Amino acid sequence: MTDGPLIVQSDKTLLLEVDHPRAGDARRGIAPFAELERAPEHVHTYRLTPLGLWNARAAGHDAEQVVNTLIEFSRYPVPHALLVDVAETMARYGRLQLATHPVHGLVLTATDRAVLAEVLKSKRTAGLVGDRIDDLTVVVHPSERGHLKQVLVKLGWPAEDLAGYVDGEKHAIELSPTVPGRTPGEAPREWSMRPYQEHAVDGFWHGGSGVVVLPCGAGKTIVGAGAMAKSGTTTLILVTNTVSARQWRDELVRRTSLTEEEIGEYSGARKEIKPVTIATYQVLTTKRKGVYTHLELLDARDWGLVVYDEVHLLPAPIFRMTADLQARRRLGLTATLVREDGREDEVFSLIGPKRYDAPWKDIEAQGYIAPADCVEVRLTMPESERMIYATAEPEDKYRLAASAAGKKHVVEQLVARHPDDQVLVIGQYLDQLLELATHLDAPLITGATTVRERQRLFEAFRSGEISRLVVSKVANFSIDLPEASVAIQVSGSFGSRQEEAQRLGRVMRPKADGRTAHFYAVVARDTVDQDFAAHRQRFLAEQGYAYRIVDAEDLGTESEQEEPAA
Amino acid sequence: MASTLRDPAPSAPTRHFADALRERPDGALVALLRARPDLGSPSPSTLRSLAARASSRTSLERALARSDALTLQILEAVLALAPPVREPGTPPAPPGTRATGGSPARPRVTPAAVAEALGADPEERQLVEECIARALEAALLWDAIPSAAGPSPQGRSAARRTGVAAGPDLRPAPGLDEVLGPYPAGLGPDVDPPTTPRPLPGPDAPAGARAVLDALAWGPPVGVVPPPGSRPRDAVDWLVRNGYLVRSDARHVLLPRAVGLALRGGRTHQRLQAQAPRPEGRPVSAATVDAEAAGAALDIVRRVGVLVSAWDDAPAPQLRTGGLGVRDLRRVATAMETDEASAAFVVELAALAGLVVDDGDAPPTYVPTDAAEPWSTLDDADRWAVLARAWALTRRTPWQIGTRDERGTLRAPLSPDLQRPWVPRLRAQVLEVLQHGSSSSGERPALSTAEVLEVLTWRTPRAVPPERAVDGLLMEASWLGVTGAGALSAPGRALLETVVQEQEAPSADGGRVVPVVDRVAAAVRVILPHEVDEILLQGDLTGIVPGRPSRDLARLLEQTSETESRGAATTVRFTAATITRALDHGADADSLLTELARRSPVPLPQPLDYLVRDTARRHGAVRVGSAGSYLRAADPVVLAGLEHDPSLSSLGLVRLAPTVLAAAADAGELHEALRARGMVSAVEGPNGQVVDVRRVTRPRRAVPARRSALALASGRTTAEAVSTEPDYAALVSTLRAVDASAGDAAQSRAAAREAARNATSTVLRSADPAARPAPAAPISTPRPAALPILTSPTLTPPAAGSPAPAGEPPAAGPDAPQPDEPVQPAEPVERGFGHHRAVESAPEAGGAPGRATGVGHRDGDDASAPDVTTAAPAGGTQHPADALALLRDAIRDGRKVQVDLVGRSGTLERRELRPLRLDGGRLRAVDPLREAELTIAVHRIAAVEA
Repeated sequence: MTDGPLIVQSDKTLLLEVDHPRAGDARRGIAPFAELERAPEHVHTYRLTPLGLWNARAAGHDAEQVVNTLIEFSRYPVPHALLVDVAETMARYGRLQLATHPVHGLVLTATDRAVLAEVLKSKRTAGLVGDRIDDLTVVVHPSERGHLKQVLVKLGWPAEDLAGYVDGEKHAIELSPTVPGRTPGEAPREWSMRPYQEHAVDGFWHGGSGVVVLPCGAGKTIVGAGAMAKSGTTTLILVTNTVSARQWRDELVRRTSLTEEEIGEYSGARKEIKPVTIATYQVLTTKRKGVYTHLELLDARDWGLVVYDEVHLLPAPIFRMTADLQARRRLGLTATLVREDGREDEVFSLIGPKRYDAPWKDIEAQGYIAPADCVEVRLTMPESERMIYATAEPEDKYRLAASAAGKKHVVEQLVARHPDDQVLVIGQYLDQLLELATHLDAPLITGATTVRERQRLFEAFRSGEISRLVVSKVANFSIDLPEASVAIQVSGSFGSRQEEAQRLGRVMRPKADGRTAHFYAVVARDTVDQDFAAHRQRFLAEQGYAYRIVDAEDLGTESEQEEPAA
Repeated sequence: MASTLRDPAPSAPTRHFADALRERPDGALVALLRARPDLGSPSPSTLRSLAARASSRTSLERALARSDALTLQILEAVLALAPPVREPGTPPAPPGTRATGGSPARPRVTPAAVAEALGADPEERQLVEECIARALEAALLWDAIPSAAGPSPQGRSAARRTGVAAGPDLRPAPGLDEVLGPYPAGLGPDVDPPTTPRPLPGPDAPAGARAVLDALAWGPPVGVVPPPGSRPRDAVDWLVRNGYLVRSDARHVLLPRAVGLALRGGRTHQRLQAQAPRPEGRPVSAATVDAEAAGAALDIVRRVGVLVSAWDDAPAPQLRTGGLGVRDLRRVATAMETDEASAAFVVELAALAGLVVDDGDAPPTYVPTDAAEPWSTLDDADRWAVLARAWALTRRTPWQIGTRDERGTLRAPLSPDLQRPWVPRLRAQVLEVLQHGSSSSGERPALSTAEVLEVLTWRTPRAVPPERAVDGLLMEASWLGVTGAGALSAPGRALLETVVQEQEAPSADGGRVVPVVDRVAAAVRVILPHEVDEILLQGDLTGIVPGRPSRDLARLLEQTSETESRGAATTVRFTAATITRALDHGADADSLLTELARRSPVPLPQPLDYLVRDTARRHGAVRVGSAGSYLRAADPVVLAGLEHDPSLSSLGLVRLAPTVLAAAADAGELHEALRARGMVSAVEGPNGQVVDVRRVTRPRRAVPARRSALALASGRTTAEAVSTEPDYAALVSTLRAVDASAGDAAQSRAAAREAARNATSTVLRSADPAARPAPAAPISTPRPAALPILTSPTLTPPAAGSPAPAGEPPAAGPDAPQPDEPVQPAEPVERGFGHHRAVESAPEAGGAPGRATGVGHRDGDDASAPDVTTAAPAGGTQHPADALALLRDAIRDGRKVQVDLVGRSGTLERRELRPLRLDGGRLRAVDPLREAELTIAVHRIAAVEA
């Protein structure tokens, strides 16, 4: 028994003791093949999955390395069955390869006759492959390249795709050496990609296709831009929604040689096809009379690169469409490979293996994202409100709890705690926000605010002219407010873990003076609000953002003690 | 053609064999009885009957079923080398010249000759000779050279062991030739006259002749005659003409033994299997083995605990056919987080350890026994030891669960017919095989089922255990942690040693339930991971125990959290639901937090603190209690008076609110009491309406007291105690005494032998092989002492006509038998206690499962007597308790018994039955002969014989 930092469980989870002196080494050792599942303060949980192991194989690690790493860092004897399983699983990758045959075109070759026979016997491969050329080779219909890879992963014999990519239509894209200032008068700054972003681009480019995993706020867009520059071809970018599409466009204009005219938006509102086209998942998955009406976009140009933003949210129909794009380079960007719907295998087979992964905390330690302090403020509702809540219809309960009157006072106290900070108050319900805005004497931005007014207010906030801003959920994605260092969430859309992360992301942009960001969530005790809050926070807690709970009643007394600690 | 062959079933030289047996020293006889226990049970009445029994087909089959491959090869070699048994009718040679009398050309069959024929190298020679000594001891072989001075043990056996020049001349036990089949070692028959090995076909032989011989050389020695006119046919014809082959019938030729031996260069076997194969296996480091075993051991202990508590909450109903239903199995499997096969094993194991039992109620359900409580207070190692011990001794076959029996019924866990008597022996053998492969280098071999089976096949080639059983046992061993990563673990080794010890010297207390801190528990304690008494609590409401949680910690976590991941460490998650559960068990927030904080090396995370306190605050906000009735009044003063009235204290009145009292008594009773006190109360219904009093009182269902399952379990335990070895020495001395008295009364032994030989040669030709030894008795020794071994009624008249001497068996009564009176009274006795007993105890003693021909339940029947008799059982009607006890034993062992049933007309009918179930005054049993299942009222059973 060694005194390692790692405990290997027979259910294939790895527990890493963070405070152990060798924890860093162990983390680096297991990162290539294990997926980080939870990262709370003391013990992080990683999981070994077939996909993770195949990812490691794709990245050039072998089973022996994995086994040795586990044994080296494990505190207790590693379960025998697990080691056997690791070796067996990893041995399955690459037994089948997709390659280009000089005569027959796309072929599936095997290093093992039995494997090929097993795979061809399966009903699922019927129709995807053509004639057998010899014992070890079979012709693959080029149009079924994606389907076949998908099926092979399901059958447990993932194929290594060596067939290469089409070059695509050339379109020169370069990263600009400077980035224009935010305000019209500000001089352009010089910039370059951060080291980890460069590694990510290189990792992706060498692998051909695949997924880059970076935390929120770590500059995934820039990785996308870097990949486009490297590719120098027409590019299709698929994003989650229109707001995100605009953000991409702005960022590309600022960071690359591309101009507004070269970038098209393909969304519900606009249907432009340009050398670089940004489309939303939603428009691609729109069906009219049972037909996807916007599929032609995928073939509209000879795309040399397809970028998928937020791969972990990629909807199922997109997967099916992606299956037909296997000859094009594909880059997936995400903060986590863990999907709530369990379709990790499709990401693996259709987009590609994980090519780069940087732990959230590492990037924070390098100062690229701001450290954050998360606090949940629990508010006990007064008797009268509790009675109304108790007798309310279930569908009204959340609204009632979320917009509890006491929150107003809490927000006031919180704002008072941060007199020198730029404070954002984020909420869901307009009447509540209106009330808060009046109370705090701060401007309010909602969906109804005109674009001009919005931009004026944001500009004023950025410049420090105003230090308080009350925003509705329009602020979830669209705005980039680097100086906001305090966010107070008074209500959210139910239990969305993603929204919580996005809102936290608002305050996590690195601060000029390296200040700690604060994120407050105000919840009403003993209500559904609290349950939803717990659900949202689980994601953050698992990402290592330990949150504290404070009673609303204690806010005044506690603030003095808390400040030095923070 | 057939005329050149000898009679295929020659009469065996029983007398010589019997003499050899008689001349054995007492010690050797005891050794024989120990080596072949079936010979001593029931006690043979004379040495001669012992000899007859030892050469009976059944006994030989059984002995061979337990013989290893080397013994069988030796027996075949001796059979092939020994002179052919003389033709019936020819005068026998005097015993002294026997070695050279039959076929002068043949040398003595000494151990050295056998070893040479087997092709043993010098090292193996030793093994061969030891094996021959054992075969002699077990009377599978005997020495044709008579000893000069009767029983003089030391000299002879010493000479035999050293294998000196004047070594023994080995002969196979009579009857062995038939049991081993017509072509021992693939050698053809001896032809008459015996062919002396002649030079093998030279250049004058037609082409292909040598090829034919080579094809037949290593057996089987039977060839098909090619069609006439072909060239091979010419070769065959030539070979037949020249005596290299003989025609057995129109289409087949045989290779005579002598030619075969010559072709093989004097060898009888191509490859000597002197030693058991030693499969290499896959080497696994001892540390890995023990770590895996420890994990499995903890798992199985936990799963049994889960089962016990699951059935404590909700007992599982028993199927009508016995056993646990599929749905209930699935349920416990889910609770244990495992698959059904291993869950079924856990269920079986818990039942074996006496932790759960069928409560015997109607309808029966499975509930935890009283023993489950003390068991769960033991530490992991002791708990495991209790389970492992129960497993080591059981006859149950859980691997059959889920398969279908002959009638197509699915076999359910805990079903009564899931037992086979040979299981413990096979289990011990399997574990021994695993142990033998171990080396001291710190690596232990992990053997596959096929490799284990390979070794077991060498040990008993004629009774190869079913692969499924071996596979099942290996599987169970791995679930239990007796093996880890496929190799025997340290506790497994300790268990094996205990098992062997317990089987050799069974302890009467059968201490299953009683915690025994023995070597097994100690062995497992050593390998279990260290107990950890700390838990790392984290902000995401999880906690991690970096090792095996101590008992207290495990209990705390079980109450307060749900486990997310198990293994070397344990990950738990706290939720509002789990904290509520803990609070339900009576904990409060502060004590819970203190307990957790005490064990956490890091400060208690704030979210957890809030979770516990918030949950506790809400817990119990709404209170539920039970009351028989309530009492409400508009005026609180009225109620205040009632609450403290001593005359109403029996009603259990409690004030819930100023105007409401709750009462323990039911509404009717309360109403009566209040009326008696002079208060005009009215009874109201759920809607507040006043109702008629008489409809309020409702009947109550009595809750049956749970029967003490401990008593049931302990009863089961004592019943399973293994019987001790009979006193063979005493038996042998009795036999000697009988033999000596017979010798005094009779004439000279040689003369008697002579007479017997003449008689047997005529009588025995037609006699049943099993009865063959018997007829010698009435003629050669005209004593009724031999009467009990008469089994063939056709031979009764000469026996009955013999004079009545002293020393007659008690069964025949005090008077001399009347000349015309058949020996019937002795018959049932012999049949009841002798024959059947011997046959039926076969599976238990033999331990040879399945494949062996001639061994096992059904095959034993071929020699059994007709199943219906009107004779009264020997001792009148049995004590009912004895009969029932025997039936229960038989149910447990899956054995067949003889049951005397009282028919409708009052006659006794004897049937051989395999009892299945005994309850409610009824016996359900299978009659294998009639292939019928029947149900018998217990009062109709007059007697039961095992």
